[in-house]
Amino acid sequence: MTELEAGRADRLAPVRSVAVLQRYRDVLIALVAFAVLASLPLFTGSKALLDFVIRCSAYGLFATSLNLLVGYTGLTSFGHGMFFGLGAYSFGLIMQKLGLPIPVAFVATLAITALIAAVIGAICVRLKEIYFAFVTLAFQMLIHSTILSWASFTGGDQGLRGGIPRPAFLGINLANHVHLYIASCALLVLGLLAMRQIAQSPFGYTLRMIRDNAARASFLGIDVWRVKLTVFVLAALFASMGGMVMALFVSGAYPEFAYWTISGEGIFINMLGGVSTFLGPMVGTVLLLLLNDTVTRFTEYHGIVLGVVILFFALGLRKGLLDFVAEWFSHRHDAGEGR
Amino acid sequence: MTRTRTPGISRRSTLALMGAGAMSVAAPWVARAQAKTIKIGMPTILSGRVAQLGTSSRNAVMLEVDKVNAAGGLAGRQIEMVIRDSKGQPQEAARVARELVNTDGCEWLIDGEASSGSFAVHEVARDLGVLCVHTCSEASSLTADPKQHIPNAFRCVRQGIHDSIVGGSYAASISKAKGLKKWATCSPDYAYGRDTTGEFTLYLKRFAPDVEIISESWPKLFQPDYTEVVTKILQAKPQALYSCLWGGDLTSYIDQANIYAMFGQMEVFAVNMADYTALTVVKNLPKGIHSGNRYIKSFPTTPENAAWGDAYKAKYNEYPTNWSWQNATAVMFLAEAAKKANSTDGKKIAEVLKGLTIKCPFGTDGTVTMRGDDHTLVGYAIGWGTTIPQEPYVPEVKAGDWKTIFELEAEWKKSKGYT
Repeated sequence: MTELEAGRADRLAPVRSVAVLQRYRDVLIALVAFAVLASLPLFTGSKALLDFVIRCSAYGLFATSLNLLVGYTGLTSFGHGMFFGLGAYSFGLIMQKLGLPIPVAFVATLAITALIAAVIGAICVRLKEIYFAFVTLAFQMLIHSTILSWASFTGGDQGLRGGIPRPAFLGINLANHVHLYIASCALLVLGLLAMRQIAQSPFGYTLRMIRDNAARASFLGIDVWRVKLTVFVLAALFASMGGMVMALFVSGAYPEFAYWTISGEGIFINMLGGVSTFLGPMVGTVLLLLLNDTVTRFTEYHGIVLGVVILFFALGLRKGLLDFVAEWFSHRHDAGEGR
Repeated sequence: MTRTRTPGISRRSTLALMGAGAMSVAAPWVARAQAKTIKIGMPTILSGRVAQLGTSSRNAVMLEVDKVNAAGGLAGRQIEMVIRDSKGQPQEAARVARELVNTDGCEWLIDGEASSGSFAVHEVARDLGVLCVHTCSEASSLTADPKQHIPNAFRCVRQGIHDSIVGGSYAASISKAKGLKKWATCSPDYAYGRDTTGEFTLYLKRFAPDVEIISESWPKLFQPDYTEVVTKILQAKPQALYSCLWGGDLTSYIDQANIYAMFGQMEVFAVNMADYTALTVVKNLPKGIHSGNRYIKSFPTTPENAAWGDAYKAKYNEYPTNWSWQNATAVMFLAEAAKKANSTDGKKIAEVLKGLTIKCPFGTDGTVTMRGDDHTLVGYAIGWGTTIPQEPYVPEVKAGDWKTIFELEAEWKKSKGYT
């Protein structure tokens, strides 16, 4: 080891140990979160609450994966919903037509999504800003139209009918509501933990650098195109997981899952929760679903209420809820230290 | 020594008084327990492009529920409807349906969803085992496909295949009488449009084999401009045109085709024309458009049907839609089944509903039947007629023959591998 290398190693050692500590902390938080969620059915018999958490898992995975693109890499995708739909359809079709065990279908769906995301991503990530947004939207509409027109295979606009078979595996029976609930929680926690690791890894910091100054990253020897493509595929995988949870919840897959409105909801969630913190989209998901479920109970003019809420966030707070809270805390912290 | 009664209240009368007191406190509770309301959940589309149809479904259900409640309710229980918007999204329909049963305590579901939403609610019914009556989805496979069959779900809706058989035979008879051999089609480009048009032409050619389809147009659903479609059809010079455009699409199409005087140049068969939502919106309704009946006060030509249409109009200040009569019929079926079963137990009701025939203003012969083997509505009024520009819009409707429908439907089911 040269003197120079030894010096660098010395300087990096504390950084690495902090990173390791942080990872342990994240794993611990994930375990506690899972334990709390999984023990919920012991305390409450409310099926509606369990349904709510299952839907939060589906949308939460989807919205957080979108934030990997929007918040961390600065790639505003308007077509991310295509992978949500792709996940639901691939999983549903594999289960209906091939009858494979659920874990195999799960992995196969991820493989299919990765392949398609790689092809679409290879074309899209070369583009910037509005061009990227619109080409992703165009691909989404292509997939949506394919689902509609290929009626013999996908069921067209009526979706995958007849229910998705859910054979038991390893003692887990996803046809049972509580089992499905715990499996969804596990997927959510694992998915979030994996995305958190991606965001906190050197790769995650490369994403932030590309977002802030792609030219600079390029001068530092980073293959920007490859990094963007990688994160595009990774985000697609988690969105696809969200789609699978949704397909299991409704026991079917419908063209609406791949429509642009799902992408719109993802962006809406990110706006509500905030994009500068990792858990922002998760908070946004809970907020949106809570709002949706309560408002639709009382009025069919939910559009107006949601519109007002979005206006409040966009014009009033000018950021997502968690961004606002985080900023408020740091201000208080600074004030406390007399700065 | 003789025992004398002490003056005042005896033990026995104290007990009696206490008992009476307890009764008077408990009586309302007992009475309430017996008359406990039955909640029926209904997800339907109350916002977005087809909100008008969802609202008309809600109106019709409430019209009938009020009647049932006034007559004493279902087996002595008053009905409380819980109706919620699904926005026409299947995942939302599934969520709302589950919420209605799991949280709101609804014992039955009336599913006011169309297309994919109805299949999503069907899966909820399969999952929760709750009694469910579909009231808006015309997709034949919902009940024709044995894979979909569950003992607790019924469909109280007209069906695409029935419409095609009746439409095909009616069009063939006009074709033969007027020598219409060259046909064009113009239908929305999605499963309903493609399937319905395919089935219509199949039966048209079956009844009139020398018919030839010379032009097909598939405008997008909710397309605003039909100029290129209209000019394409005019250039092909067909003698007749078939279309299953509906709602706003159909009215825009007619308004735009009127500019080219299209309706004077060919016979037009628009299956979804005879619905008040289309009839009352078109600016200049051409005379002589052939249409299937959706809901029209003048067919069936019975005082009961006319009275029902008028009662609806009096209450809501608009005419009912096709979804209205279907939802009203569903409530009539449920009320009759509860009366027969003298119970509100979902399983017992489902047993009674199988093969049940009820009196109904929308039946061809004054009755409709819930067919036992595939849980679907038959015997409803179905026919074709031609339009005039003012009320009653379709003065004479030629009724379809249910015997032919049954024969051809059985054949169709076989060809699809459903039987």
